[in-house]
Amino acid sequence: MNEPDFGAVFRAAGVTGWLHATDIDTGRHVGHGSDVPVPTASVFKVPLLVAFCRQADAGLLDPAARVTVRADERAFGPTGLSAMLDDVTMSLRDLAYLMIAVSDNTAADVLSARVGFEAVNAMLEGFGLTGTFVQQKSADLYASMAEDTGHGWPYLDPEEIDRLSVLDPPRTNRSTPGETAELFGLIWRDEAASPASCAWMRSVLNKQVWPHRLASGFPYDDVDVSGKTGSLPTLRAEAGVVEYPDGGRYAVAVFTRSFSPAVNQPRADAVIGTAARMAVDHLRR
Amino acid sequence: MDLVRHLRYFIVVAEELHFGNAAIRLGMAQPPLSQRIKRLEEELGVRLFDRSARQVRLTESGRLLLGEAREIVSRADRLRELARHGQGTVLRVGVPPDLAPAVIAGLVAGFRESHPEVRLAPAEIWTAEQVAALAEGAIDVGIVRHPLAAPGLLFGPPLIQSQGVLLAEDDSLARGGELHLADLGGRELLMPPREGEPGVHAEVLAECRRHGYVPPQVHEGAGLGLVLAGAAVAFGPRTDLPGLAWRPLLGSPIAGRVSTAWRVETEAVAAFSAVAVRTLKERAGMADEGAVPVRRVSRRPGVLA
Repeated sequence: MNEPDFGAVFRAAGVTGWLHATDIDTGRHVGHGSDVPVPTASVFKVPLLVAFCRQADAGLLDPAARVTVRADERAFGPTGLSAMLDDVTMSLRDLAYLMIAVSDNTAADVLSARVGFEAVNAMLEGFGLTGTFVQQKSADLYASMAEDTGHGWPYLDPEEIDRLSVLDPPRTNRSTPGETAELFGLIWRDEAASPASCAWMRSVLNKQVWPHRLASGFPYDDVDVSGKTGSLPTLRAEAGVVEYPDGGRYAVAVFTRSFSPAVNQPRADAVIGTAARMAVDHLRR
Repeated sequence: MDLVRHLRYFIVVAEELHFGNAAIRLGMAQPPLSQRIKRLEEELGVRLFDRSARQVRLTESGRLLLGEAREIVSRADRLRELARHGQGTVLRVGVPPDLAPAVIAGLVAGFRESHPEVRLAPAEIWTAEQVAALAEGAIDVGIVRHPLAAPGLLFGPPLIQSQGVLLAEDDSLARGGELHLADLGGRELLMPPREGEPGVHAEVLAECRRHGYVPPQVHEGAGLGLVLAGAAVAFGPRTDLPGLAWRPLLGSPIAGRVSTAWRVETEAVAAFSAVAVRTLKERAGMADEGAVPVRRVSRRPGVLA
């Protein structure tokens, strides 16, 4: 059976794309650059979430413990605590929910300070995901862009964007479409952490608020889409799981780089859903 | 008779209204001056001065001819001046090949009005070739597009022309109001040649990319045939041509910037530059360059998540 022409679909949307999709239960898979190293952008918050749960499972931290995040500790960002003005006190697991559902950068950086990137990387290695690596918290991503260009967001000059270290996998948080999809498979098969923690992670990932990427390819009431987005200049990504009414479950990771540096490109967002849909349709044939 | 010389005497006498003073100014004796004025009056068949009273006065005819005499003398001086400086009476000018014919006609007519003795020789060449021609002295003055880095050149005031999109009239985007650059997605683009207009090429394509339009192919040329055929779109000022539609661009992201350019400033070059600026404003819809508008970037939270 011929594989779908993912390259043509990405091109038509003005992007270059890499994708991997796996049937979570059978292991059947399809890909387009599955092993290509990609910058994760905010998708790095998923391994951080898993490591947080494993430390909770091991009794190393209390997910219900309340922390106060002071106004002057905020990381740059358009959502959640990052967008708020005053001190906030909430539990670690509620911070984790905000980190996933709205990609809250401040919540992510509070958690990564607790969990530690060493623990995240050790866990990834234990899973055999050696192409996935975290080394920058959210604030670091923005600080490095400001350092590379000498100014703050937005970044619209193609030459400046070519210089950004956050778009260069060796110098930033990185993964591959295949490994990112596999991490979601571990969560959905209760292999990433305790079954209770995995169930909670699935519920949080299912509360993803952005509908314009992965979910846009599955516009049906009886199909569930969970996921985590990632965005940086010209980079748009989402990885997650699509669950069909017949019980079919598919882990999908899609990473794209747009030809244009324009910030608002609905076609580039939507092609993540379109390509994921083509992949899932292919696996269901 | 040396008419110009005699007219010169006439002017001085008319200014002094005193033959003795005029003779002193001219460095000659009074009797030959009087004789020469008489000679001129015979030649023209009119009396120029009324000498009957104690004072010398211009006659009505003299008053009428004085202006013309001045004009003839100054033209003659100018002719000698030009000849003495070895300057040709041809001004070699570079103009962009895609400048509208009406604009070129306006340039030639406008310059002829102020400098009838200088013949304008326009060559239709692109900016990069004009820069080389100015450096070599192959042209005296040009009309160039910016951005442009050319050390040693002097520029006239920068002019700006806001551009829209030219499309085939049966293009699905041909009707309606403003277009956004991103709406052009998938369409091929016709541009002036990259080699001739490297600055414009780079700037326009960067602006297109920034606004979400990456043309699958960029054609190079000056004619609009590809646009008429529906095979490409082009940027330009509003044009009324059968078979073509013109649509303004939202936020005016594409603007043509031009100026005159020269290396050696002469009176003719400065005059041409002034005529060019006036003509481009009147006939090509160009305006003095204002402040560069600040680009807006909509901050929807989803674009950063």
